[in-house]
Amino acid sequence: MSVERLEKIEAVLKSKKIQEFEIYFVEKKIFETIFLKDKPENERELYDFEYFIRILTQKENTTGIGVVKGNSLEVNQIERNIDTCVILSKINSSSKYDFPSKVNINPIDTADKAIISDPLKIKNDIAEDLINEVNQQKDVVPTFLRFRVHSNHSYLRNSNDLKLDAKKTYFFIEFSLKAQENGKLSEFWNEGYYKEKKHLNLNERVSGWARKAKDTLKAVEPKPSDDAIVIFSPSVLKQAINPVIGVHALGKAHAEKISRFNIGDVIASENITIIDDGLLEGGLRSNSWDSEGNPHQTTEIIKNGVFQHRLYDQMYAILEEKQSTGNARRAVNGTVVNGITNLKIAPGDISFQEMISNIKEGYYIEQFSWLNPEEVSGNFGAEIRNGYYIKNGEFQNPIKLGNVNGNILEMVKKCVYISKEREFTENTLFPYMAFKNLNVSS
Amino acid sequence: MSNKSYEEIFTDFEEISNHYNRSDQYFDILYDSISSTSIAKTPSAENFSVNTKKSGIVARSFLDSWKEVAIEASGDLNIVKTKIPKVSKKGNILDEFDGWSLNKEIKVKIDPANVPIEEKIEKVREIYNYVKNVDQRIIHVKVSYIEYLLERIFVNNEGCKLRQVIPRTRVFLTPIAKEGGVVDFDYLVKSGEIGFEIFDLFENSVLDQAVKNSLEMLKAEAPPAGRNTVVLDSHMVGLIAHESFGHGLEADQILRDRSYLKQHLDKQVASDICTIYDTPSIEKKIGSYFFDDEGIKAGHNILVENGILKNFIYDRRTASKLKAIPQGNGRRESFAHPVNVRMSNTYFGSGDYELEEMISEIKEGVILIHGYFGMEDPLGGGMQCTSKKAYLIENGEKTKILKATALSGDVLDMLKNIDAVSKDSLALDGGTCGKGSEDMVPVTSGGSYIRAKNTLVSPG
Repeated sequence: MSVERLEKIEAVLKSKKIQEFEIYFVEKKIFETIFLKDKPENERELYDFEYFIRILTQKENTTGIGVVKGNSLEVNQIERNIDTCVILSKINSSSKYDFPSKVNINPIDTADKAIISDPLKIKNDIAEDLINEVNQQKDVVPTFLRFRVHSNHSYLRNSNDLKLDAKKTYFFIEFSLKAQENGKLSEFWNEGYYKEKKHLNLNERVSGWARKAKDTLKAVEPKPSDDAIVIFSPSVLKQAINPVIGVHALGKAHAEKISRFNIGDVIASENITIIDDGLLEGGLRSNSWDSEGNPHQTTEIIKNGVFQHRLYDQMYAILEEKQSTGNARRAVNGTVVNGITNLKIAPGDISFQEMISNIKEGYYIEQFSWLNPEEVSGNFGAEIRNGYYIKNGEFQNPIKLGNVNGNILEMVKKCVYISKEREFTENTLFPYMAFKNLNVSS
Repeated sequence: MSNKSYEEIFTDFEEISNHYNRSDQYFDILYDSISSTSIAKTPSAENFSVNTKKSGIVARSFLDSWKEVAIEASGDLNIVKTKIPKVSKKGNILDEFDGWSLNKEIKVKIDPANVPIEEKIEKVREIYNYVKNVDQRIIHVKVSYIEYLLERIFVNNEGCKLRQVIPRTRVFLTPIAKEGGVVDFDYLVKSGEIGFEIFDLFENSVLDQAVKNSLEMLKAEAPPAGRNTVVLDSHMVGLIAHESFGHGLEADQILRDRSYLKQHLDKQVASDICTIYDTPSIEKKIGSYFFDDEGIKAGHNILVENGILKNFIYDRRTASKLKAIPQGNGRRESFAHPVNVRMSNTYFGSGDYELEEMISEIKEGVILIHGYFGMEDPLGGGMQCTSKKAYLIENGEKTKILKATALSGDVLDMLKNIDAVSKDSLALDGGTCGKGSEDMVPVTSGGSYIRAKNTLVSPG
């Protein structure tokens, strides 16, 4: 069905004799249960598709890129979309650009066949398992829970005969578990996408949520320090690393002179190695090709603290006379932007427990309210939502409120420990990491 | 469906809606269409995108829980009857309202649909070229313009037959400045239910000030950490009203037993000079509309009056359960997203102080300017709101500029510590709000300046 729709759009493009075009077509199915406490409150199903057309107009030193988005398959509407796209491409003035050519791409498996064949059953089964696990926890109750299964099928074609398609399945969970004691309330609230069923690991995950909710009941404000050692959990690290290191590593940031990174410079502690891996098994953004059809690959960004390689999409690769590293991403409006795929940080040589044992006084942050560092400067300040104060090598007491602040670009130069253990958080595979010289206020 | 007239859509929807008897079950169906044009310019690229019309349909019924199916607009409507069963004797679970009719299109001064795309692009380029040449220390400029035209058609089995067409535009400017090793920026954003005339708000003097604001950030120092007297501008006031306070009033959180405010109805939650509203019916704001996505007429909700908590914020389901009157706060991001209880335009009422008077009475304090981001904590009542910048107040005067500054601590403590509200006219800033990190809807928030004592600040 989708192929027929795609061919209908392609036929109209060809009938209008458009020389350089690209069609990105995505079919989406979503199945969701939203629970009020532990009872289903909303059962949802979504069947949707949309397409994006890009058309190029080559000029002397620039390329005009037009983009339209739509979901009408009426021929007259497709024609109007193409006419609009042509106009946009004639006015647009971007860096020199052309569409990737057809190359051999080895497909990787990004979809769970069981979900593809019966997504509703999988959703119902896992949602039931999830709520059963939650109900088995002592001294905590769910306030709400959302569980969703996504099944997407995307297609990419361009005027260079490139023809690609990929299926992808993944899950979403959002929940809040509440603990209550002597009139005090606390919760552990989290959300996230999970690529693989095995990553859900419901038994261990739900008991961990319950423990964190209960521990937060006893949480106190952290002791202030202007020279603190702070351990970041893998999910907190994602919020710290991706928007800052991820952005400064892009070809676009270099071309637009906002990157602080020069190839060969020491930009992080010697123990830090960061890799962009578009093929990472279990990575949420894994695919064999990027949003414009270049192959995904593995690119070392930082090796032993030294900046190695920038991440390029086709436009910035052409601008800087490099090869694309498969780092094109599709924005919601259909434009293609330079971005990271999955980031992974090489594991360290001590366990998380040993890391804690090595710290005389410090803090472990499981979750901030919202860590939202400034991309360009790297400055951040965020309120602690769930964490622990570390004293003499062990967790002394849970902490919450108070702020941790610093600068991500400076912080990564002061990494004292990296754990052996790593965890998936959406498009990252990160360890626990400890940084020194941070500021904790309360 | 996407090529049908709205009269034809009404007819199709009524046929489906009549399939479900209101005395047996509540049923509604919504057509959602969005067209948009976005133009963004940075040093190396221009991104232009036109969304000609993304449209879809979502239908649902309340049995013992909601059962909902959504399809893109060209899909087969018969799926609704297949997926949503007819039942009996479930009609009383949700309160019934009188059906009503409306067909309203907001008219703007200059309809973007009548402006050639070339002219829009030229406006963005003009702003970009002007700003990048104001000062050599400006190393990067990003200008983005986006216009939306939203059409929603709603029918239910209570007799509602509603249509609204709402245009929204937004222009965002970020000049990044660099001097020595210091890189920083401020930003300027304008938005509303307005048309192409939005560009009239970007005169050269306004752009000069935006550049000056970014350059000033190069000298910003770290803010103090600890308890201080603070003055908050309308952006920050809005963040408090919306993020720290408003989310705890959303009645789904009350049903979930997940709000610190559940026990506070009709009790003092703020100083008696504070009044806080949520009003979707205000005209021409980005969080405004005529009816919500459940067919409830947009109203005016007094949340806090003279410091007393008067109301929560409801959708149909929570209003039925809690025996309240909804004011139109059941909203979807699009047909592809569920209805949630959402705020609209949320703000503090004005007081009787002059800003200068508020500042002059402070020996040591901080004024936080330009709300940057905030996060809710509906169960704990914690506050995390960060301003893009701040100024130290010393002996009654604004002195040094400070970097991003965070407010934290207990929001009710902060609200009770408010001892002055300015008489400035209402200022509302537009943005988008997520339920958690998704289901984004356009909102505004704001108020006039407020002053609070003994409030925790730290670098943000």
